[in-house]
Amino acid sequence: MSKLRVYAYAELRQYIGGRASLDVELADGGTVADLLAQLGIPAERTKIVFVNSRAAELDRVLADGERVDLFSAIGGG
Amino acid sequence: MATILRVNMSDLTVRREEADEAYRGLGGRGMTSAVVAAEVPPHCHPLSAANKLVLAPGSLTGTGAPCSGRLSAGAKSPLTWTIKEANSGGMAAIDLAICGIQAIVVEGRPATGKWYRLRVSASEAVLEPADALAGLGNYDTVARQIEQFGDKVSCLSIGPAGEMRACSASIAVTDVELRPTRHCGRGGLGAVMGAKGLKVIVVDPAGGQRPRPVDMAGFRQGVQRFNEALLGHPLTGEGLPKYGTNSLANVINAVGGFPTRNFSEGQFEDVEAISGERQHDVILERGGQIAHACHRGCTIRCSRIYMDEHGEYLTKGPEYETVWAHGANCGIHDLDAIARMDRMDDDLGLDTIETGATIAVAMEAGIIPFGDAAGALRLLDEVRRGTPLGRLIASGAEVLGRAYGMERIPTVKGQSMPAYDPRAIQGMGVTYATSTMGADHTAGYAVTANVLSVGGKVDPLRPEGQVELSRNLQIATTAIDTTGLCLFVAFAVLDNPAALEGICEMLSGYHGRRIAAEDFLALGTQTLALERGFNKAVGYTAAHDRLPDFFRTEKLSPHNVTFAVPDEELDQVFAGIG
Repeated sequence: MSKLRVYAYAELRQYIGGRASLDVELADGGTVADLLAQLGIPAERTKIVFVNSRAAELDRVLADGERVDLFSAIGGG
Repeated sequence: MATILRVNMSDLTVRREEADEAYRGLGGRGMTSAVVAAEVPPHCHPLSAANKLVLAPGSLTGTGAPCSGRLSAGAKSPLTWTIKEANSGGMAAIDLAICGIQAIVVEGRPATGKWYRLRVSASEAVLEPADALAGLGNYDTVARQIEQFGDKVSCLSIGPAGEMRACSASIAVTDVELRPTRHCGRGGLGAVMGAKGLKVIVVDPAGGQRPRPVDMAGFRQGVQRFNEALLGHPLTGEGLPKYGTNSLANVINAVGGFPTRNFSEGQFEDVEAISGERQHDVILERGGQIAHACHRGCTIRCSRIYMDEHGEYLTKGPEYETVWAHGANCGIHDLDAIARMDRMDDDLGLDTIETGATIAVAMEAGIIPFGDAAGALRLLDEVRRGTPLGRLIASGAEVLGRAYGMERIPTVKGQSMPAYDPRAIQGMGVTYATSTMGADHTAGYAVTANVLSVGGKVDPLRPEGQVELSRNLQIATTAIDTTGLCLFVAFAVLDNPAALEGICEMLSGYHGRRIAAEDFLALGTQTLALERGFNKAVGYTAAHDRLPDFFRTEKLSPHNVTFAVPDEELDQVFAGIG
């Protein structure tokens, strides 16, 4: 199992119980898409994904100890 | 036919004139930059009688086009000494358009020590003595106008910073509730207004009428298409109304581009305390308002109303740039203190970005420590009292940094950078370096493709593709800035071709002639060419289109990167334009 620290923001926070972050165990070789499915976060609402502060796609394989940030549509300026 | 109001502060006369051929049909930044480029001597001192302050609604303002209430202010900037356009929401642009005014051009300079009010309606425009308003903040200035003229007017005003002719002084614009919370913030245009002895402009739309499109059916079709695109986009239809601009705090921090403690780090450990998500909860707990429109006809409604701990109105927003400037950039994690600083900035008439950046440099200089919220509020009080230190704070990051012998001064052409570190978001570095305005995020918001997955994806940590991205955004942004449309419509434009089609249909319907996408973008390139020409005549060269050295020599955590776009590529941003 890979232990991950997952942060969710804005509209996606509701899927992790309104918290800012939680620790997740994901099966080895699991991807961002697998993580979203495990957490029940709709992929179509997940507009931005960072792994270790770098942009990542849904097929990115996650490794033990990585940090994942998940955002719905965000903007401003 | 729209008219130009020529306000001569030397002989205190106001003259209405028809726009001549060169200015006909221009709006917003297209109008302000055309007038400044044609009529202001490039070598003049920005506070002299020779400079002109131009205030122009966009070409679609007042027509009922969604999100079209921006007001452009333009002049030669006392902060950057470049040409300058700063635009603002609020109600003044719509009211000016209803009065049939394409632009107000404020010229000359009165005898020193005298203050004036300009009152504008559809039928008259008069200058009146206003010495009694001297020294008042924007909130009290506006309150006096409401007492006298009722609550159906809108106001443009300067606070004590503008009266001091401070380089960070803004021009305040009242919002729907007649609060002076919207500002033409950047570049010290409030100082130009102050130098001209103009304390406040009161605009009364009674008796005026909305500008009427030549082809109403075509215009309405464009409105419908544009509206659908805005409401259908997840950002303009959902994210911005609910969480506001400060939803950016977490994402810019997560990507490592959130300038912390005067651009010395890329992530702020206490970001959650000042995030848009936290702000959303605080606002609702205290009976404030999210999804607030700063002007009528705005469908995005990114503004909010922020209450203090007792549930009393404190300020709007605050916006992302303000929360960053007074927050992470100063090591401050107290959202209420940041909101108080926002209120003081609005009242004093200060650009929140420049002011926060200056306080951060003051902290690094040791005047107060990083994280000292009470100290930061005291520095703003120094501005209010006009003390020597207060005047330094109001002069911007570059001046204060030089006065204290600092090297890490995050400015381009004298203007401080906003809330994106150009080492972690390199597309923004290209925009900061090359914009005609000095460091300005709105000039070409590369955060879109660099971070937000809007309008494609470009790796923010690498130099490849950044010049093309910034160039295209600077052209499109300048075109949007001529229309009075809020720049946030660009999020929909970049992702959905129907949004740009809607804009072209609205413009075509309004003017009664076909305006295609390339005609629309040509407004951008033409205006940029005028601005570049003015800056070259001032003396700006390619050597000025650069970031401060430390962005190439100091690595930024957490990615340990420096700015890597080569100089010769920066010099290609405006190839073929000017």
